[in-house]
Amino acid sequence: MSERGWAWVEHLRRGGTTPWASFDGGPSAAEDGYLPGAQQLELLRRLNLAGSPSPDLVERVVRASAPGRGRPDLELVGAGPERRFGPRPVDPATLPDAELLRVATGLLATSVVRTAPAPVEPRRPRRWRTRYELVGDPWVATPLTAALTADGRPPGGVGRAVLVLGADLPTMLARVWADRALRGSVPPWPEFVARVHARDRLPRRVDLVEVAARQRTVAGTGRVSVVLDPAALPGLLGARSLPPGGVPPDLSEAAGELTRQVATAVSLHVTPPEQTDLLERVLLPRLAALAPAGPPAPRPVVPPEHRDWVEDAAARLHRDLVRSGYPVVGDPGGVLPGPWEAHGAPQSVLDLAVRLLLERPSEVTA
Amino acid sequence: MSERVLLHVGTPKTGTSYVQDVLWRNREVLAEAGILYAAERFDAHFLAALDLMELPWGGLQSEAIGAWDDLAARVRAFDGTAIISHEILATASRAQIGRALASLGHGDGTEVHLVLSVRDLVRQIPAEWQENVKHRAQLSFADFLDEVRDPERATRIGSWFWGVQEVPEILDRWGQDLPPEHVHVVTVPPPGGAPEVLWKRFSQALGLDGVPLDLEQAERANPSLGVPETTLLRRINKRVNAELPPADYRPLVRELLAHQTLSRRRRSPRLALPPALHPWVSQIAASWTEEVERRGYDVVGDLADLAGAPPVEQYADPDHPRERQVALAGVDAIKTLLLDDARLRHDVERLQAEVDDLRGALERAYATPSYRLRRALYLRLEGSLLGRTTLRGYRRLRGRSTP
Repeated sequence: MSERGWAWVEHLRRGGTTPWASFDGGPSAAEDGYLPGAQQLELLRRLNLAGSPSPDLVERVVRASAPGRGRPDLELVGAGPERRFGPRPVDPATLPDAELLRVATGLLATSVVRTAPAPVEPRRPRRWRTRYELVGDPWVATPLTAALTADGRPPGGVGRAVLVLGADLPTMLARVWADRALRGSVPPWPEFVARVHARDRLPRRVDLVEVAARQRTVAGTGRVSVVLDPAALPGLLGARSLPPGGVPPDLSEAAGELTRQVATAVSLHVTPPEQTDLLERVLLPRLAALAPAGPPAPRPVVPPEHRDWVEDAAARLHRDLVRSGYPVVGDPGGVLPGPWEAHGAPQSVLDLAVRLLLERPSEVTA
Repeated sequence: MSERVLLHVGTPKTGTSYVQDVLWRNREVLAEAGILYAAERFDAHFLAALDLMELPWGGLQSEAIGAWDDLAARVRAFDGTAIISHEILATASRAQIGRALASLGHGDGTEVHLVLSVRDLVRQIPAEWQENVKHRAQLSFADFLDEVRDPERATRIGSWFWGVQEVPEILDRWGQDLPPEHVHVVTVPPPGGAPEVLWKRFSQALGLDGVPLDLEQAERANPSLGVPETTLLRRINKRVNAELPPADYRPLVRELLAHQTLSRRRRSPRLALPPALHPWVSQIAASWTEEVERRGYDVVGDLADLAGAPPVEQYADPDHPRERQVALAGVDAIKTLLLDDARLRHDVERLQAEVDDLRGALERAYATPSYRLRRALYLRLEGSLLGRTTLRGYRRLRGRSTP
């Protein structure tokens, strides 16, 4: 087995950052078995470059297997005699981010599963509370309902006011994508928008008029209104203010993509309902904590080739909303897109994953 | 502690489904012979493999959580011989293989035997493309061949193909800690032979000779598709992939269309390796044969089987099919979908009648005059700030919050 290879492993374990191609050897403690894959070792080098991974994390990276389909664990070029069979050895520095991300998301998934705090017991339902149901924009409706329930205001009841939550269409599309990313059941953002465009139909939960019409037919519902002004929500819900953390901050495209990939990896360890719950309670707060102070990270931007369709769809939604006669809290024009934001420099999903891995240096291995 | 574990790790398309079906249907007979095939459901070992290898599989992975550890625990607790079989195990990484062998008692007194069934690439390459198409792939046969022939194997297709098909490499990964006499390579006979020959080889490798197994009811194989049928499926994938979720694709496209309809069209031309690729494949087969012989594994069958059949005389290119054949396959597909739709419509009508009955009962319960009056008043009050304040006061006085 390659002494140089094991020496590089030792170098990386000690926090070294020298790339494999320029590593000229050093002290090694050759171990039994096989060298860790190039993907794992390069990820460790990136972690070392970005910070100081804990010894626990270092060992987890070295022993990791990447979940899901992709290239197998690759050998380091020049680390051993040439083999007649198997994939070609590689220079790990040339591996695409996606290969390192597979390893990183597997590690993040186990971290999410193992470090989840126990769920908070909801307080007893308040005796006098407004009967409500939140539907529409899932990024707001689902967590806000959960937060209100925990605060003693569970939804439901005969005659409940149904609040169909909405926003401008690009924002709602980004939130539907982020919500589905938690469930791991969505393609990357550009493909998601392309699919919505190809179907020429809004996602069910943000087709606000359809949602309102469906709710009208449900037994036990009271007044159905569309809410486009989030500031009006506390009053409509009979609360002085919304519970803290009730509405998670919007995800950037990189954060949504990382969430999507971690969700798939988490699905290997827990059932689907647990998966969404864990990601909401553990991953989203960690992502939020990573965000720098200042303005929130930009939401995913609709690619230029789909903007005409989004504008047309928003105009149709606005027209239907006005014609339908449902009470609207806020300006019905609030569903229309604002000026399109320019595509900023894309944030690296791998960098985000590396920062998240480093964020908890005291993490405990299983 | 198991005395012996026989671990059959692939490769795909070598009669593995048949072997697993025989083992599954004969669990009790095997148990009487002191052999454990630990499975509560027919796909138990598939789930265990997904769990071991951390593979998402269209949502099925949630049913696989903990499945490998459960299987390994049952094997360890059994006093005799245990058999584990699934072909996707072929792609396991060295770390996963190390974990698997340790969990089965390797190095702790259990004798682990590896079984790898292998088939010539002349048949495996088109079969793998077809399997990809049955799993939503849209790429042409030519593109598939390009990815498989790319020495970098950097794509999803290329890395998976060689991960489950490169015989010496699979044997190297899985057999690294095993003596060569505990590694058994079962070759699939050339096409056209008696189907019993392959089973006899499996029976020998898995130590089943003499066990009175019932082979009559086992399902022989995954049904395969012809050239126009595979082309049709690929075109369907292009149209539906964006809109049909995996949970619907599986029963509708793979099962209803591919397996239950299109695979029954047996007279259309069969998929084959392009004649121009035969020299390349022959070279690979020769190197594999030489390597397997050199390592001294136990070969059940004949390594010459790996050479494969000579090129077909009339090659039907699935990327340029005869459109009339594709159209006829399409008509059969439409017929199946119409009949299935008719069946579903009848189901919907029946269920709608039940829903109407239930809704009527619910509405009657809400239809008393006093309820209607209270609801109208409530809705009016909810519409204004003064009304909502009044309602809150009323609730407080009344002691509950519904009107």
